Amino acid sequence: MTMTAIPYADTEAPDVLVERQSRSGRVAMTLAVLGLIGLAVMPWWASTGTIRSVLELCCYIAVAQMWNLLAGYAGLVSVGQQAFMGAAGYALFVLAQTYGINPFVAIFLSLLVPAVLAVPIYFLLHRLDGPYFSIGTWVVAEVFRLTASNMPIVNSGAGMSLRVMKDFSSFERNVAMSLLCAFMLLVTLGGSYWLLRSRFGLALIAMRDNPIAAASQGVNVAKLRFLIYVAAAVGCGLAGSIYFMAQLRITPGSAFDPMWANVAIFIVMIGGIGSIEGVLIGSLIYFIADRWFGEYGATYFVVLGLMTLLVALYARTGIWGLVSKRWDAPWFPIRRKLVHRKL
Amino acid sequence: MTAVLSTHGLIARYGDFQALYGVDTELNAGEAVALIGANGAGKSTFLRSIMGLLPVSRDMVRLDGEPVGGTPTDRMVQKGIAIVPEGRRLFTGMSVEDNLRVAIDQATRVGAKGGWTLGRLHQLFPILKEKARTPVQSLSGGQQQMVSIGRALLCQPRVLLCDEISLGLAPKVIREIYAALPEIRAAGTAMIVVEQDVGLAQSATDRLYCMLEGRVTLTGRSAEVTREQIGEAYFGAGHAVV
Amino acid sequence: MQWFDALVQGILLGGMYAQYALGMALMFGVMRIVNISHGDLVILLSLVGISMASAWGWGPLPVLIALVPLAVLMGWVLQKTVLNKVVGSDPLPSLIATFGLSVALQNLMLQIWSANSRSLPGGGIESQSIEIGGIYIGLLPVIVLIVATALTWGLDIMLKRTRFGRALRAASADVEAAAMTGINPRAIYALATAVAVGILGFAAVFQALRSTVAPADGPAQLIYAFEAVIIGGMGSVWGAFIGSMVLGISQGIGFRIDPGFGVLAGHIVFLIVLATRPQGLFGRA
Repeated sequence: MTMTAIPYADTEAPDVLVERQSRSGRVAMTLAVLGLIGLAVMPWWASTGTIRSVLELCCYIAVAQMWNLLAGYAGLVSVGQQAFMGAAGYALFVLAQTYGINPFVAIFLSLLVPAVLAVPIYFLLHRLDGPYFSIGTWVVAEVFRLTASNMPIVNSGAGMSLRVMKDFSSFERNVAMSLLCAFMLLVTLGGSYWLLRSRFGLALIAMRDNPIAAASQGVNVAKLRFLIYVAAAVGCGLAGSIYFMAQLRITPGSAFDPMWANVAIFIVMIGGIGSIEGVLIGSLIYFIADRWFGEYGATYFVVLGLMTLLVALYARTGIWGLVSKRWDAPWFPIRRKLVHRKL
Repeated sequence: MTAVLSTHGLIARYGDFQALYGVDTELNAGEAVALIGANGAGKSTFLRSIMGLLPVSRDMVRLDGEPVGGTPTDRMVQKGIAIVPEGRRLFTGMSVEDNLRVAIDQATRVGAKGGWTLGRLHQLFPILKEKARTPVQSLSGGQQQMVSIGRALLCQPRVLLCDEISLGLAPKVIREIYAALPEIRAAGTAMIVVEQDVGLAQSATDRLYCMLEGRVTLTGRSAEVTREQIGEAYFGAGHAVV
Repeated sequence: MQWFDALVQGILLGGMYAQYALGMALMFGVMRIVNISHGDLVILLSLVGISMASAWGWGPLPVLIALVPLAVLMGWVLQKTVLNKVVGSDPLPSLIATFGLSVALQNLMLQIWSANSRSLPGGGIESQSIEIGGIYIGLLPVIVLIVATALTWGLDIMLKRTRFGRALRAASADVEAAAMTGINPRAIYALATAVAVGILGFAAVFQALRSTVAPADGPAQLIYAFEAVIIGGMGSVWGAFIGSMVLGISQGIGFRIDPGFGVLAGHIVFLIVLATRPQGLFGRA
């Protein structure tokens, strides 16, 4: 008996294309590239004060995007990413100030510290169930803070200064800061975008929507979560190193400040969790609000806290979620879309 | 005579997936009705929608003629419907007696009366008295099923819904459990029994409904429907029964 | 002798932590929710108590009698207005909501009471102590430990013997099956949170009597409660109690080694337990 393939008589392969980019995406991509170039050449158009502000904004974006990757895709709600920011910041100060390594080399070497620390920490904390994982990350950040306060090599509770930066002119430092800002956004935002569009992207989105179903479809959820955790630690470390290099000073209190968790959560929840667009929107809102209302101190934080609460109760997808419900114009499209080819 | 429980064009969905397409059924007082059908036909969904575990419209489910669709589960229990859920769903970590006592507590709280007591339950399933202090997770499957049935009865229901109570049990244990059903009916409790074993379902009930892909495809007196009729309703029209 | 003293002081400190930990164990056990504003609620109640005492000249006992019902009411309102909307299998909404609440509460307290540390005047009991074999034991810490033991015992009995306790255990085992037995899960949740926050009313009074409180102290209390619950092992109130003792002893001994090492020693013991016995000392594997 012979087997023959029976052709589907009445159906033709539909004439479609898989589209992965959209017009809004192309516009946004162009703007993003221009923005990165603009960041890199800041010393030629911006004052030192402006560069400092922009650097702060870039750190918010980077830390928020790392939190977004953790909470929005991997289901790991961390409130202790400041552990890695401070660890990398301290590593930079020790390498550059204590051991005399060029700070711009040290800033990259310092990223090894969060990477190496993230591995055992993940293996400890992933045993904790959902909400308990979050508080576990906080404990780790507290352990780091208390350890730094008791470690003579980092000058214990008194903190350290990065005096070696005096060897560079103000212009040189501005150039370095600007290039680092552009690099940081390229790595954290560009890297996330690349990751989400890669073959891991589909797995990540599947995992976000339903981890159990994703696992049954062959997604190695545990491994992916681990990798995301380490990547986010390095990303936060980069932001920490750059931030404290610009600050020129680091203390246990500032290095492991839980304020960073507040900021990341506020930005991502208000902007819209699970999207890069949301992080950008949230960061801008936070940055502007901080400039305008920061002087109101406590009242301002009461409002921020209540807004976060209300978003969690009534609008879990944040601003970007509301926007994209109405207009299908993603800035960073990650979906594959079937379109009929025009005849 | 009004049916004690009836469904009218019952539609249910899980998100985008529609599971029931207008199911009409009736259960009269004291009657036992079987619900048969292949896996995925919508039998469990049907019971879950009655219990308020899936969103349905008010008019789609009636109890004594009163629209009750979509009422929260705990309120449905108060209105006199109890379920022996698929997979038994006992409270692990608690003893047999505490599992049963949870139902007694709630029935007492709302003042439900139906005549089921711990003592009467122990007569029905003597093993439950012997194992009263045992944590439910260390019971055998059949004993767990008895606790689950007992827990539902202690809610003092007028209507009892049984979802695959024979699943995964040895034939001897299944017989033991089904032997208890006549006594439950004798107490005046009407029943809907979802069952994979068609023969068992026929022998234990007055009438049956057969479901296929979310619709009722056959209804009749359990003793009168033929194997051919059932085969057709079970697998869809055109299926040859060998 | 010095170490024995550290051990005794650690156990007494554990009595304080147990009062924070019980409520957390209860809420997590039933709803799988961790309320990040747990510690801030203690501080809020403490500050309210201190204001009551100074406004009306009340002693600790009237403050306690007024504060516990207030705490119960706060818990019930918290559940009805916030937690009932975020309870579910996804931990994110409840974490974010209570996180936002925590930030808002801390800063609100800062507005009302300023950043200063305050304490509740105890009319002398805070400074009384008993000498037993060369060790001075404060009367107040002993009272705290006795109250903590009584609360743990009472909660355990309530869970095992009462209608509410059985319903609560049923809902924490399988919430849908509990509803099928006639239990209204939301009513049970509201009561559980009311009880959990009610216990914090005791913690608030004793915290303010034992030491000082300031608006920013909440997160530390949250972390201690959390560590105690994990060390002890989830799912039992006695586990939370023993976990609190272990945490208190670790900190007590740590403080004796070096005052800067006390809190860190507690964290390290927590991490060791997590590494070697993730189900907790008394948890089921």
